[in-house]
Amino acid sequence: MSEIVLEQVTKRYGRVTAVEGVSFRAERGSFVVLLGPSGCGKSTLLRLIAGLEEVSAGKIHIEGREVTALDPTERRLSMVFQSYALFPHLSVAENIVFGLKVRGLPAPERRERLARVAELVGLTERLEHKPQQLSGGQRQRVALARAIVSENPICLMDEPLSNLDAQLRHEMRVEIRALQRRLGMTVVYVTHDQVEAMSMADHVILLRAGRIEQQGTPAELYARPATTFAARFIGTPAMNLVRRATIEPDARDGFTLGIRPEDIRLLANGDGGLKARVTSAEYHGADTIVTARVGEESLVVRAPGEVKLAPGAEVRLGWERSATHLFDDLGRRK
Amino acid sequence: MRHVYGWLLLTPAAILLVAFTHYPAVATLAESFFSTGTAVRPSRFVGLGNYAALLGDPIFTQVLLNNFWFALGTIPTSIALAMLMAAWVNGALPGRALVRLAYFTPTVLPMIAVANLWLYFYTPQIGLLDKVTALFGAGSHNWLGNPDTVMGCLVAMTIWKEAGFFMIFYLAALQALPPELGEAARIEGASRWYFFRRVTFPLLMPTTLFVLVNATINSFKLVDHLFILTKGGPDNASNLLLYYIYQTAFSFFDTSYAATLTVVLLALLGAFALVQFQLIERRVHYR
Amino acid sequence: MKRLIGIALAALVVAATPALALTELTFYYPIAVGGPLTKVVDNLVAGFEKEHPDVRVHAIYAGNYDDARIKALAALRAGQPAQMSVLFSIDLYELLEQDAIVAFDDIGADKTWLQSFYPALMANGTYKGKVYGIPFQRSTIVMYWNKDAFKEAGLDPEKAPATWDEMAKMAAKLVKKDAGGNLARWGVMVPSTGYAYWMFQAFARENGQDLMNRDGNQTNFANPEVISALQYWRDLGAKYKVMPEGTVEWGTLRQNFTEGKTAIMWHTTGNLTAVKESAKFPFGVAMLPASKQRGSPTGGGNWYIFKKSTPAERKAALAFIQWITSPERTAEWSIATGYVATRADAYETPKLKEYVTGFPQAAVARDQLKFATPELSTFQTGRVRKALDDAIQAALTGGKAPAEALKAAQQEAERLLKPYR
Ligand SMILES: Nc1ncnc2c1ncn2[C@@H]1O[C@H](COP(=O)(O)OP(=O)(O)OP(=O)(O)O)[C@@H](O)[C@H]1O
Ligand SMILES: [Mg+2]
Repeated sequence: MSEIVLEQVTKRYGRVTAVEGVSFRAERGSFVVLLGPSGCGKSTLLRLIAGLEEVSAGKIHIEGREVTALDPTERRLSMVFQSYALFPHLSVAENIVFGLKVRGLPAPERRERLARVAELVGLTERLEHKPQQLSGGQRQRVALARAIVSENPICLMDEPLSNLDAQLRHEMRVEIRALQRRLGMTVVYVTHDQVEAMSMADHVILLRAGRIEQQGTPAELYARPATTFAARFIGTPAMNLVRRATIEPDARDGFTLGIRPEDIRLLANGDGGLKARVTSAEYHGADTIVTARVGEESLVVRAPGEVKLAPGAEVRLGWERSATHLFDDLGRRK
Repeated sequence: MRHVYGWLLLTPAAILLVAFTHYPAVATLAESFFSTGTAVRPSRFVGLGNYAALLGDPIFTQVLLNNFWFALGTIPTSIALAMLMAAWVNGALPGRALVRLAYFTPTVLPMIAVANLWLYFYTPQIGLLDKVTALFGAGSHNWLGNPDTVMGCLVAMTIWKEAGFFMIFYLAALQALPPELGEAARIEGASRWYFFRRVTFPLLMPTTLFVLVNATINSFKLVDHLFILTKGGPDNASNLLLYYIYQTAFSFFDTSYAATLTVVLLALLGAFALVQFQLIERRVHYR
Repeated sequence: MKRLIGIALAALVVAATPALALTELTFYYPIAVGGPLTKVVDNLVAGFEKEHPDVRVHAIYAGNYDDARIKALAALRAGQPAQMSVLFSIDLYELLEQDAIVAFDDIGADKTWLQSFYPALMANGTYKGKVYGIPFQRSTIVMYWNKDAFKEAGLDPEKAPATWDEMAKMAAKLVKKDAGGNLARWGVMVPSTGYAYWMFQAFARENGQDLMNRDGNQTNFANPEVISALQYWRDLGAKYKVMPEGTVEWGTLRQNFTEGKTAIMWHTTGNLTAVKESAKFPFGVAMLPASKQRGSPTGGGNWYIFKKSTPAERKAALAFIQWITSPERTAEWSIATGYVATRADAYETPKLKEYVTGFPQAAVARDQLKFATPELSTFQTGRVRKALDDAIQAALTGGKAPAEALKAAQQEAERLLKPYR
């Protein structure tokens, strides 16, 4: 059974349409990521699910109940805010059990759950501190702890890692994913970072200007991007999109050809392939990102290891035929 | 050399402060140890004589007591009202700019104008209050002419005047609170009241402290309305310390005794400020 | 060419001015009643300057009586010029104690001029046989009555109560209740905030008593007749139920009267013009009713000349005061303000004669002057007055019995005045 079901959900603020006709399902225990560029309506969609905003049209079901008109409280879910939304005057412990107190859980049970969750997120030493005495990562954990202590089956997270540095972000990604699995929660997770989406999600929903551009597993989105937008949004460096005529001179249509940089190989001289002139080569350790010009267009190549190429050098590029993606003149996959 | 320059820069401010704040305060204290002089009877040193007179002055005792009731009547209610109004006006309410303005209007009116307005509320028979109560069949009341009701009337008017002003501070504080706090609490199932009690109220404590200090000072400072409404009457029932100081200085010409009363007022206010900051600050969460 | 003449003329004027030996005078004056009186004062000053080109007069409006006194004394202390002022008639003792004023007898005012004013108005300005204050804006208390209300109550609308008994009885008839049994109109109102002592002087005088001696160092608050006067005032509310209990506000009383909420009020003559303009019913003005005799205190402002002045300035100030209190000017001032004309011969001027014929109410205050008593004024006058005010209010609000309240006030006054005997 699906835990969360959205049917044609639309949200308008006056003349601005933030979310339009969005439908999707999030299966129980799955990790769903709402992905998209800034301003595409991710937060709005999450807030609609939480009940913090009212839908303009459409329906929302949670655990088989229609909750479209219900208060956040009655939807039995937790939420982690981008800014954490910790109560600054309460200690870590008080912050975590805030909701339990609201619901009048007896003190012994509160204590027991607090101890368990604090252990889980590694905050046992910090329970008496105030939020401003904590580091960003610790605050993040408090917010997380507050969300999971209630033992709600659903947890919504709005860019919870965006305030952390790269190192910490990576650690937290792993932790959150592990926690989610362990507790069997259904998580809807908002991010604009495709790496986060790819590494964490069971199911990615790619949004663009309030609409769903494509949804599927990370592998599906990677392997078969439905549009040029999806193609460029997922994968780093982004997929090369060039006019088909540049590569296949006899093609007469206005189609676009897409090739991921990691699918292009640098060929030894005399192996045929496409002739190109190097404009730059950036060494990244595990691989080198080479940019080369072909006619009017520029192609990015991700070559393993260190490749020493001076700008202006001539190279030949090759790829498997199956690695190309073809898009029509409206940007749709052919 | 740098020190000299620094001191030079400070000099204008220091001169102003000394001339208009410190010197008068010290002069007042000094004067309270002398008798009031006239051209015919020069002033002489009387030690604590004026303070002894204070203890034997029944009006002094009464104005102190009045001030206490006035403070007790105005401070908690106006603060509570201000907080309530601010919370209400802070929400997304249609026409809320208008409501805010309406609340704020009493604040921009001078106290004298307010008193004139309320004089016509309270006037027996022709006053608004009596006209309204008459609609419900009640008889006329001599609101300001009765020692039992006069203080209540002044308290009500002062609350009306002050609450709007304090509301502005609360409104500013409320707007500085991140809205996610409320959303987080809603998701956790907190009612509006629970959220107010457990989150908003404690977070407003710095504002409350500020407002409390101001309200206390105001309850001793605001006497303009007495000139219009009651002149401290009937029989001192609405007389307040500062108004009594005014009467002593400008109607009795007893500047020394007025200085003595002023010293008491200053000492009281200083003590209040100290106690409030000391006691409450410990319990206030500053962000 | 024209310009040259202009410059030459200007030079002439400049050269000529010192030859006139210009004397400059500055005075402060208060306004305690309604109307555009600063303009009237400015016109008077301009008229004087026209007749006396060698004197320049600066008139400074200074707020109410208290403000005017504070400002004038502050100016003197600060060494700013002020040679004379209109101040409260009862500020006399304070000004004497500050050694701020000179007696008119000592600067060459002749006796006949000093005797041309009503004696009742001179009392507040006289100390130990010498005149320090010349009456200017002076008032008394009179009784206003609503003729329509009298008619409605079956009383003769042309006849005001003449005695205390009559007033209580007539007022009882004048009290009106509405259908719901609530009070719609009171019989009589006497204000008791602000100037309670002044109103009370009327009651005391009518009961045959003055409240202080002429030297300003003895009060008479605990006299049995004085106590019974306060008892009567209290009874109007507490016993006869013809006046609201508690205190009656001075500031709004006029409106209570003009809106028909009380049939009779006691108030200052200074309100006469204002009542005339706002009452929509015929009203009468009468002397206050008598108990043992008629009586009313005087009130208002006198001219004083300050000690800090040169002989030339004193001479000019005296000339100015004599000019502005001349019968003609006095008549003009009385018509413009409603204040009593301060001298009998002013009422003989054609202007005032005509005015009184058309509006006889204006003469009542004058006629009452023969029963008048000076306004309460003593050494330590502020405190003494407040002690009496508090006693009156305590009695009217039922906080203390009249005897108890007045005895306490007398005791306080004794304590305050002993050093001045
Ligand atoms: N309360 C509101 N009133 C009007 N417009 C709004 C409101 N909230 C959001 N919008 C608009 O809706 C659109 C989507 O906003 P939303 O906050 O959902 O974007 P987002 O995808 O979360 O962006 P980001 O990654 O920057 O957080 C934006 O164009 C925004 O301007
Ligand atoms: Mg967002």
